[in-house]
Amino acid sequence: MTSLISASHVSKSFGRLRAVDDVSFEIEKGRITGLIGPNGAGKTTLLKAVLGLTDCEGSLSVLGLDPFRQRKELMQNICFIADVAVLPRWIRVSQLIDFVESIHPRFSRNKADELLAKTKVRRDARVRELSKGMVTQLHLSIITAIDAKLLVLDEPTIGLDIIFRKEFYSNILNDYFDQERTILITTHQVEEIENLLTDVMFINNGRLILNASMDQLPDRFVELMASGENADRARRLNPIFERDMFGKKIMTFEGIAREQLKGFGDVRTPAIADLFVAKVKGATT
Amino acid sequence: MISTQVALLKREIWEHRAIYVTPLVIALIISMMSITGHVAVSAFDQAVDIAILGASNLGEAQRASAITVLMVSISVLFILAMWVLTIFYTLDSLYAERKDKSILFWRSVPITDAETVVSKLVTAMVVIPLITFVVIAVTHIFVLTITSIWVSFQGANAGYLIWQAAPLLDNWIATLMFLLAIPLWLAPFVGWFLLVSAYTKRSPLLVAFLPIILLPMLERTLVGTRFFTDAIFVRSGKMPFFHGIDTMGLWSEDKEALHDAVRSGISFLSMVDLSGFLASPGLWLGLVVCGLFVTAATYVRRYRDES
Repeated sequence: MTSLISASHVSKSFGRLRAVDDVSFEIEKGRITGLIGPNGAGKTTLLKAVLGLTDCEGSLSVLGLDPFRQRKELMQNICFIADVAVLPRWIRVSQLIDFVESIHPRFSRNKADELLAKTKVRRDARVRELSKGMVTQLHLSIITAIDAKLLVLDEPTIGLDIIFRKEFYSNILNDYFDQERTILITTHQVEEIENLLTDVMFINNGRLILNASMDQLPDRFVELMASGENADRARRLNPIFERDMFGKKIMTFEGIAREQLKGFGDVRTPAIADLFVAKVKGATT
Repeated sequence: MISTQVALLKREIWEHRAIYVTPLVIALIISMMSITGHVAVSAFDQAVDIAILGASNLGEAQRASAITVLMVSISVLFILAMWVLTIFYTLDSLYAERKDKSILFWRSVPITDAETVVSKLVTAMVVIPLITFVVIAVTHIFVLTITSIWVSFQGANAGYLIWQAAPLLDNWIATLMFLLAIPLWLAPFVGWFLLVSAYTKRSPLLVAFLPIILLPMLERTLVGTRFFTDAIFVRSGKMPFFHGIDTMGLWSEDKEALHDAVRSGISFLSMVDLSGFLASPGLWLGLVVCGLFVTAATYVRRYRDES
């Protein structure tokens, strides 16, 4: 069994609202999957179900465990950063390290010390005295020092400046990620993680509207920039979405061969952010 | 399992520094007062005047009685502070982590909600009384030392008059048992406060005390019975822990009952009615109620979705 996460018909309702609606997917070991969706699309709810923080309908298995009922076992192999603000503000850095060391069987103090030595985080400082960027560095150092199989990041870089954000992702790739580890990440700042991802899932209104590996995207999606008659002719091939830029039409196609479109103008693989807009907006128009 | 619990208890002490700061502040006040001569003198002069203690030929039982009353009077101040501390601690323990959103961090580590809630319960029922006890014992030693210096200034032999008569061990064992018995007897309140702390979205103090005050009133006006009045107020004051004296008597100004008991050769420890306490149905009923509240608090923490 190589599936690390296996979700089958997972749903979660709050009253009448179906926050997650019949979602099925598999995530395999060694992948970095981006879960992308607008606010209120159900991303966080889905992540919470994966982390065992909330119950859900359907069948969901993470590392072969039922996340809600076996949360403690699960947490020995999962780490997550849900938001930069979650470290308790009163705790000292040294206390935090002591605490995690005494409760986490897979935590390496040496590794945490090594990682923290590269930052300006002082051992005797309380979390409330640290800048937001430093709190994230601290949290990431601790999590990287845990030999976990799955790392879940929910908007990990919100409120950080660009330098910290870049550093955050390069640290994840250099210090954390290897073939044995898997990452599931959500963020609004899609451009920043685009090059990191091996897989991408789009979620909208609680439903999964795309689930593909990054390698498949160039074959499945093509973006055409065309104008005038060429645009009109291309439109007959049913683009999933169309927008204007600099007086030209930009059309996104799904399942149309690149060769077919080449005659109409410039073709390229759409960026994740553009593809996301095309999938979400295209579905509503 | 044990090491996880130890780590969780440490965390409670780190987070809630009032757990040791409160008794230390009381100790500081009592120590200051004893240096200026207030504590020892006022305690002694109920039976004997400290100025004449050295010269008088009181029997050892009378001196032991005076010192026991002094020690118990000191302990009582700590116990009152411990009540207030425990109320604020329990109400904050599951509320603060939700308010500052650190609950998502605490739930990201391999610890069950039950283990976490149990650590809060153990802190309230065991850790706070133990820390209070240690500070009480040190304060006793300090105050008796200061008193010895006072007595020595009067030219008397403090070693003989005070230290030989002071039933330290006897008093401490009884005090420790009493400190641990109080939260056991008041366990329904501890459980209720933990549940409110886990459940309420705002002002835990108000949410916790409003029903405690309103329920008995409503019951009496609407139904005419006194079940909640008895369960909440009458029961709290009637802790069956000592032979001969009413537990509430320790809080009254008049400690004659204690004096009489000690003077007639009964030590503070021998006044403790441990088997009577353990055999009292009220204790076990209270613990069951506490268990229900604590279970409810665990479920609230587990099932509540904070988003």
